[in-house]
Amino acid sequence: MTAKEDLRQAFVVASYELRKYLRSRRLLGMAVLLALIIGLILGLPPALGSAYPSSPNAFVGTFAGFTSLLAVLCGVLFAADALCSEHEKRTGYFLFPNPVRRETIVLGKLLASLAASWLIVFLYYGVASVAALAITKTLSWEVALSAVYALAYVACVTGVAFLLSSILKGTISATVLTFFLFTLIFTIVGALLQVGKVSPWFLPNEAAGIISNVLGTSSGPPGFGFVPDAATSLAVFAGYFVIGSIVATVLFRRRELKT
Amino acid sequence: MKGLGKDYGTFTALGSLDLTILAGTCFGFLGPNGAGKSTTIKILTNLIRPSRGQAALFGVDVQRKPTQALRKVGTVIETPEFYGYLSPLEVLAYAGRLRGMSKAALAARSEAVLKTVKLTGWGDKRVDTFSKGMKQRLAVAQALLHEPDLLILDEPTSGLDPRGMAEVRDIVKSLKREGRTIFMSSHLLGEVTEVCDAAALIDHGKLLLQGTLDELAKRAEATLFQAVFLAPLNPDELVWIGGLPGVKSATDSGNGVVEIHLSGGPEVQAAVISAIVRSGLPLTAFRPVGTALEQLYLEQIKETAQ
Repeated sequence: MTAKEDLRQAFVVASYELRKYLRSRRLLGMAVLLALIIGLILGLPPALGSAYPSSPNAFVGTFAGFTSLLAVLCGVLFAADALCSEHEKRTGYFLFPNPVRRETIVLGKLLASLAASWLIVFLYYGVASVAALAITKTLSWEVALSAVYALAYVACVTGVAFLLSSILKGTISATVLTFFLFTLIFTIVGALLQVGKVSPWFLPNEAAGIISNVLGTSSGPPGFGFVPDAATSLAVFAGYFVIGSIVATVLFRRRELKT
Repeated sequence: MKGLGKDYGTFTALGSLDLTILAGTCFGFLGPNGAGKSTTIKILTNLIRPSRGQAALFGVDVQRKPTQALRKVGTVIETPEFYGYLSPLEVLAYAGRLRGMSKAALAARSEAVLKTVKLTGWGDKRVDTFSKGMKQRLAVAQALLHEPDLLILDEPTSGLDPRGMAEVRDIVKSLKREGRTIFMSSHLLGEVTEVCDAAALIDHGKLLLQGTLDELAKRAEATLFQAVFLAPLNPDELVWIGGLPGVKSATDSGNGVVEIHLSGGPEVQAAVISAIVRSGLPLTAFRPVGTALEQLYLEQIKETAQ
């Protein structure tokens, strides 16, 4: 089996995963959520009689404040059940006896998950940028940087979600744990570390602060939270993605289909 | 398979299995539920790892080179689930594209295999609306899609109605006529004797018997018979039959039916029939209870249970 053949098979797996997102309406659900968030951000200020922020960074900063949540939801919908569902739903009996390596299956699913999640983030930042340009008549490089950090954070969430999916047996537990890990558990751990005077630079949700920080805005309450510098944040995202994906692949390869 | 075994903690699902399947054979893998059949098949198809020993397909080690070993293999393992959001044609396309089939070959073969399993007309319906039997047919279809040299079937008629079972058996028979190698697990003895040329019997993870069906049949001389009389026998007549040479026991089953357990082969059988006929007892039929192979199967399983 050549690397070219592996890659070809990975794209086949990815194409069927994308079909799953489309037919199970996960992609549609995310699009609806996206529309809702965008509608609120753009619709609320005029409805409340207040003005939009005048600078592009401040304007896109409002959007960036929701990026972390969006990234976590992408991980929940497009990654958390990717691996464990083959075991739980017994579809592995169809897929695994084909002449395809488990690593290739993980790669295909990872590609699909990243493609769907990045599409959502692209759309989000695309709309934010167009709206910023229309309202403030200008755009800044920081907006593009914020988008890059958001894409990196999405990859980080995906890596961790894949790891959980390779460890846990059920799709529900993998989905719920992915959600609460990023929205609650990491936050609590970060707060406790800060109380103990330990810098939580290695926690992905802390590093995700860079998405807003680069725009000169903050995603959390003032004085609360810790945001590492850009390089450290990107290294944290890359670390979680790479380690999460590799360990997930090893575990998925070793996991037996017993049910 | 050489010394193939699988343990789950302290439980041994498969002891140490040595088995070679010759090319072009339809091989039945028999055993009761929990005997180790599915464990063996899962090791062969790289779904689980063996605790010891080696499994090879076409001489290629399944654990070391799974993709190479499984290239010319079609499998039906238990009743697989398919992605509910796909149609049978899409399921087949998924399997075919993973195997590198061309679009033209895929289209032609998909149509052919759906026709074979009688799912024509269901090709574009979503699988999540299918019954268990229909999913089993689809499983057979995807196993046949790439015209494999070896088919590994784990209880392929499971979940099918009698008509569906007969149809799957016919498919297996036609594949056998085409010279394909078939390794088929079943707990249905009749199914194996109808379809296979050779068989192995396992129980509690141990190989009990193996050979061609002819060899097994010779070894499995029927010893349990039913003698049917026009009228029920009286106790003296029953005792007399029980005392005939070669008769281990004679039990009244009611309505003129007596179950006779013999200790010998066809010669003893002939002698007992002659003696009964000569005695004037109104014998209307004398037949084995089940097949000889069935008796051997049950005997062997009883022995391992003890």
